[in-house]
Amino acid sequence: MSTVEQTAPGRTGVRLPSRLNLPEPTRVPFTRLTAVELRKQLNTRAGRWLLAAIGVVTAAIVAIMLFSGQADDGKNFGDFVAATVIPQSILLPILGVLAVTSEWSQRTGLVTFTLEPHRARVGWAKLVSAVLLGLATVVAALVLAALATFLCQAIRGSDPTWVEWKPLLGVLIGQLFVVLQGVAFGMILQNTPAAVVSYLVIPTLWTVVGSAVSWLHTASKWLDINQALQPVYDGTVHGDQWAKVAVAGAVWVLLPLLAGMWRLRRSEVK
Amino acid sequence: MITAENLTKRYGGYTAVDDVTFEVRPGTVTGFLGPNGAGKSTCMRMMCGLTPPTAGATTVLGKPYAALPNPGRHVGVLLDASAQHTGRTGREVLTLGAMVMGLDRSRVDEMLDLVGLTESESGRRIGNYSLGMRQRLGIAHALLGDPQVLILDEPANGLDPAGIRWMRGLLRGYADEGGTVLLSSHLLHEIEVVADELVVIGRGRIVAQGSKAELMASSGTTVRTTDDAAFAGRLQEAGLQVTAAPSGLLVQAEPLQIGTLAATHGVVLVELKEAGSAGLEEMFLQLTADDAREEVAA
Repeated sequence: MSTVEQTAPGRTGVRLPSRLNLPEPTRVPFTRLTAVELRKQLNTRAGRWLLAAIGVVTAAIVAIMLFSGQADDGKNFGDFVAATVIPQSILLPILGVLAVTSEWSQRTGLVTFTLEPHRARVGWAKLVSAVLLGLATVVAALVLAALATFLCQAIRGSDPTWVEWKPLLGVLIGQLFVVLQGVAFGMILQNTPAAVVSYLVIPTLWTVVGSAVSWLHTASKWLDINQALQPVYDGTVHGDQWAKVAVAGAVWVLLPLLAGMWRLRRSEVK
Repeated sequence: MITAENLTKRYGGYTAVDDVTFEVRPGTVTGFLGPNGAGKSTCMRMMCGLTPPTAGATTVLGKPYAALPNPGRHVGVLLDASAQHTGRTGREVLTLGAMVMGLDRSRVDEMLDLVGLTESESGRRIGNYSLGMRQRLGIAHALLGDPQVLILDEPANGLDPAGIRWMRGLLRGYADEGGTVLLSSHLLHEIEVVADELVVIGRGRIVAQGSKAELMASSGTTVRTTDDAAFAGRLQEAGLQVTAAPSGLLVQAEPLQIGTLAATHGVVLVELKEAGSAGLEEMFLQLTADDAREEVAA
């Protein structure tokens, strides 16, 4: 690429950017937006530290399980996988939250939304990139769990059960839920601490209130995302438990996502 | 080409931008001038689709901003040089921009070189950049997609004198090649050298607009005599509008008319000239005095 030298009388010679002889632009493809969002999640210290933290915590919990307890008690592949669920389900939503809120906390939205004024497309790209990263993290957890199961067998002589696809699928689905929930809360609140705190507090508060107030018992059972997801994680979900997952998912994931997307499109970017 | 038509933005009872209409033509640099909080940035955000207007509309290249496919390739925007993730490097920010716009990565190097950010500077996190470096990065980002239109909000802020001069040359060259440039500032001095057209805004309203030459010509005449106070009285008797200028008087009249008056009254002239930019500055201060945040003592 060559640069155009331009010298005008009475001015110091100022170099102008070279002209790009590119075809007339078409709209930015969604795959490109998603690739950019994925890169944005990985190219900051906050993003990398979060992933590193998820990795370290997951590895630590698996390692602790590997060396604790009886060698013949609860050392199946499924048990190792189950151990990774709680720490990851707390940290994964933060991944979703940060993908959205940094546009506001760091004010990068000024650039992001001038390069793609159709903000819903950016929102979906963020959703997809957070999901991809979340899935990668869960798969990494599965690999670590498999490794630990194998090592436990080799070192401590456990006799593990291996093939349990239902809990594996359950873990993937469950963790997908929490990532999406993080993205949704980030979109609604546009503020990292507020989104993280409300994500962690509100559903738990609901569980507490629901079990304390008698006339809320039924509603509580149906709208408790933590309770609803438990059988999914365990891989034992069946019957009306699916309905509970659907209802709780609609209230805690789908509805916030729609509200968040609406807010993302309408709010002023400053 | 940029147009704003009856652009209005209200926040509750507060009107930030009030019925603003103007046009920025290709081949010109238009200075968007106003004191802090006059509504310049709000106008620019509305042009870029970031702030929904309460009323009115804007177009860029004949279309609403959101209708531009891959807008970065049409419009270079710099709204706030500090609005960047402090944890990313300058190069990374340009790389992200190039990715969205679908540009070759070599364009990033070209832009860094153009705005004078060195290899090592471009590898540093923006949190460690000075405001001047952030502005340079912002200008590089705006130029990335080879746009026909530039919308820059206070790009000279934080630049050193050499940087300001460089930027003026760049924008001049850009407009001379047929580009459209809208450039805001709260300092007249900063843009009067480079702007062809001026739009002056105060408390959300346009208070003056036109070509710089027109505004300069209409800005009056500076006159200095051996007895300014007495002569001011004579001028007022003749029905002319007189204000005290830093040196002498600023009169809303042609030099010929004032010279004739001086001769009639036998007043000794020390200086008599078209006020030009000094008059423009005076006018700018007057037009915006009521609207400026720091109240000018009456």
